[in-house]
Amino acid sequence: MLSALTQPAVSHAADMSKTLRVTFQVAETGFDPTRTSDYYSGMVIEAIYDRLLTYDYLARPSKLVPLAAESLPLITDNGKTYTFKIKKGIYFTPDPAFKGKRRELTAEDYAYSIKRFFDPRNRSPYAFLFEGKIVGLDELGARARKAGRFDYDAKVPGLEVPDRYTLRIHLKEIDYGLSHILAFDLSGAVAREVIELYGEDTSAHPVGSGPYRLKHYARSSKIILEANPGYREKIWDFQPGDDPLDKEIAAQMKGKRLPAIGNVEISIMEETQSRWLAFEKGETDLEYQLWDVATTFMTADGKLKPAFLKRGIKLNRTVDPEITYTYFNMLEKIGDQPNPVGGYSLERIALRRAIAMAYKTGERIRILRKGQAVRAEHPIPPGIAGYDPNYVNSIPYDPKTANALLDRFGYKKGADGYRRMPDGKPLVIRFSSTERDRPYDELMQRSLDSIAIRLEIHKDRFPELLKLERRCRIMMRNAAWIADYPDGDNFMQLLYGPNTQQSNNACYQSPEFDKLYEKSKTLPDGPERNKLYWAMARRMEADTAWIMNDSRVRNMLMQPRVIGYKRHPALHQEWMYLDLDSSAGK
Amino acid sequence: MLAYVTRRLWQTIPTLLGVVLLVFFLFTWVGGDPAYLLAGKISNPEQIENIRRQLGVDRPYYVQLWIFIQQIATGDFGESWATNERVSAIFATRLGPSLTVLVPLLAVDTLLAIAAAMLVAYVRGSLTDRMVMISCTVGQSISILVYIIVFQYVLAYQLGWFPVQGWGKGFAENLLKYSILPIIVGVIVSVAPDTRLYRTFFLDEINQDYVRTARAKGMSEARVMWVHVLRNASIPIITNVMIQLPGLLAGAFLIERFFSIPGIGREVILAVERSDFPVIKAVTIYVAIATMIINLIADLLYRVADPRVQLK
Repeated sequence: MLSALTQPAVSHAADMSKTLRVTFQVAETGFDPTRTSDYYSGMVIEAIYDRLLTYDYLARPSKLVPLAAESLPLITDNGKTYTFKIKKGIYFTPDPAFKGKRRELTAEDYAYSIKRFFDPRNRSPYAFLFEGKIVGLDELGARARKAGRFDYDAKVPGLEVPDRYTLRIHLKEIDYGLSHILAFDLSGAVAREVIELYGEDTSAHPVGSGPYRLKHYARSSKIILEANPGYREKIWDFQPGDDPLDKEIAAQMKGKRLPAIGNVEISIMEETQSRWLAFEKGETDLEYQLWDVATTFMTADGKLKPAFLKRGIKLNRTVDPEITYTYFNMLEKIGDQPNPVGGYSLERIALRRAIAMAYKTGERIRILRKGQAVRAEHPIPPGIAGYDPNYVNSIPYDPKTANALLDRFGYKKGADGYRRMPDGKPLVIRFSSTERDRPYDELMQRSLDSIAIRLEIHKDRFPELLKLERRCRIMMRNAAWIADYPDGDNFMQLLYGPNTQQSNNACYQSPEFDKLYEKSKTLPDGPERNKLYWAMARRMEADTAWIMNDSRVRNMLMQPRVIGYKRHPALHQEWMYLDLDSSAGK
Repeated sequence: MLAYVTRRLWQTIPTLLGVVLLVFFLFTWVGGDPAYLLAGKISNPEQIENIRRQLGVDRPYYVQLWIFIQQIATGDFGESWATNERVSAIFATRLGPSLTVLVPLLAVDTLLAIAAAMLVAYVRGSLTDRMVMISCTVGQSISILVYIIVFQYVLAYQLGWFPVQGWGKGFAENLLKYSILPIIVGVIVSVAPDTRLYRTFFLDEINQDYVRTARAKGMSEARVMWVHVLRNASIPIITNVMIQLPGLLAGAFLIERFFSIPGIGREVILAVERSDFPVIKAVTIYVAIATMIINLIADLLYRVADPRVQLK
């Protein structure tokens, strides 16, 4: 009886008979936004928790829109103060932690959720999102590390809650990226009572106010979400852009109350064959993790094969917001040993440039990626603010010129046929990788063979490579970066000098680059900032700290009944914007 | 008998201690630092230090070893570093699916292999014997991966006799619907080498004097084979079956991965990929304990199978 009185009055908007079936190729780790870092857990978290902001589903490039906030933040104090008004009447889904009462989402929940990133007990892998930004928060975290206990009741000057529905964030410095961070899936609001009730097991008890809630959870096997019956009225009303797909989606979805699908069933399937056969048998509705078998359903020009078209299967191709690159350690020495690829002298730049020019990116895409990737020209990938579609990397694939460059700078071939350093000492490039990376080792071997440079492969376990990387002890290694939020800053910070031993794995130190980066931080997204990004990318290429590799293509296959799908570059999943047409494919 | 069992149980303690030391030093020195993995995409030395402190890997080795011994004594290995799930809960929830597949698999494999081995041993040198042996040699030369891929594709996808993958909520549904194909694959992979092995055990016995004597006394062939030969061949067969039992704890990770069975084998692979030492350590210790106990049970079974065996 009490439960009936306290349950939200709104009935389900979603059709509870509809179930969207999807897969994860890697098991989730848990659904506590502060404690997790993996992509797949993030997808579920995004569906369960409300962030202050989100992105317009159809707008490209990504456009921020309010989610739990009434509107976009009021930015004052020359970009250092953000004020959010939280919508009234948003409720967490019922949970024993609320003792039978309806629990409204308030500004205090957001302040609490941000503080949790600094609680040392949470070991938050995404604390970096807020570090060094909010006035007083780093200091509170430092005190907690010393005391062994985080004081959640301590006043943080940078997190002001003047009333129940207002959150004011004071930043130490101007930061136009904060809105993107607050739209990131891990920035959703948790309720303090829930966290305190479940203690160490918060990862298995996600309680949010978002479109879905957790219905069934068999770890590493099955996750079933059901539509939140108390979800506020949200109507599909996005403006279609120039893309013809937008108009088709708008015609199908306009006016529908969201979420339209009652259940989302997620199965963990690690093996490509299992995912492919499950999709083929109609056991799953959406599937993109099929790079290895892409040629089975797609033609060389990226179109669905006629047999699949005939069945009504749909394909949505987009470039993922990620880059892969090969970095050089830019330090003169690695430990106390000389680093042949490090330093900023012309001969070292020439060596790095020659290696970059010899690197077979085309083969990498054609053979290792099975054609399902595009060459990365710029450190910022497509779909991310700051990406320049007209930018062309200034280092082409040209082994002939690479050889000439090495000859010119004194890297002469020895009796063994391999080049030596200009001072006559042996030249050996040490490339680090894990056991799984053998095809990439072979590609590097073939690339360096083409310019007569001797390669040594250093094999180690992933955690050990990370450890060495953080200490600038790796000479060369492949790396990847997937966007946390759709802003170029998330990528450009990878080359910022002070981020050495953190995310700058090349340990790249360029005063010119750093100056440009610091200036870019003070600017909002726009032509002025893009101009700086252009100069930064050119600076990096001039020093050749990275070899730009590729960005993977996401081939999302859909069963005929799935409608409304368009890959969003910033959102981790689009489930709440979709519907299932039961008449399709019949 | 009781004195023997007590003595053997006492002997497990130094053996286990050896395993504990080996596992501890292996993970401490070779296992790598998990803090860098758990720290996420961007971390600084201070955060790494905090994680090491939270995990307790910054403590002196003797303290960590003592904690490990306490964990074994209490059976409480704490929580997974990657998911915060209690290690005991991981075993409680993942062992069931693994056993649902592997116990029937082992039972069917053993019965089939014994029957086939006895048959071909009885008709040694015949065309049947040769054909079965050739089939076994070919069968065991093919990787389990090939069996999984082909059977999943043909039997599940093309013919639709079984689900491609999946796992339900009830035991009967899992055993009768989702486990059948994985069991078939597992049996086909293991029945070939077992048949060849058991055949040699039977051949050893068939050529013994007691068999000739039994036949000379006019005993039926069925009684000679099923009672005398089988009983005497059962000791090495028990050894072989018992050797396989601890493996049930570690699961059959390839079968579990391809058929999406939420078993312990899949969990072990995940734990290795995530450097989740509490889980890996617990599995290693449990498998070691199971091996020791099963060895003891095997010794006792020898005595049951052959009363001439003396337990000393």
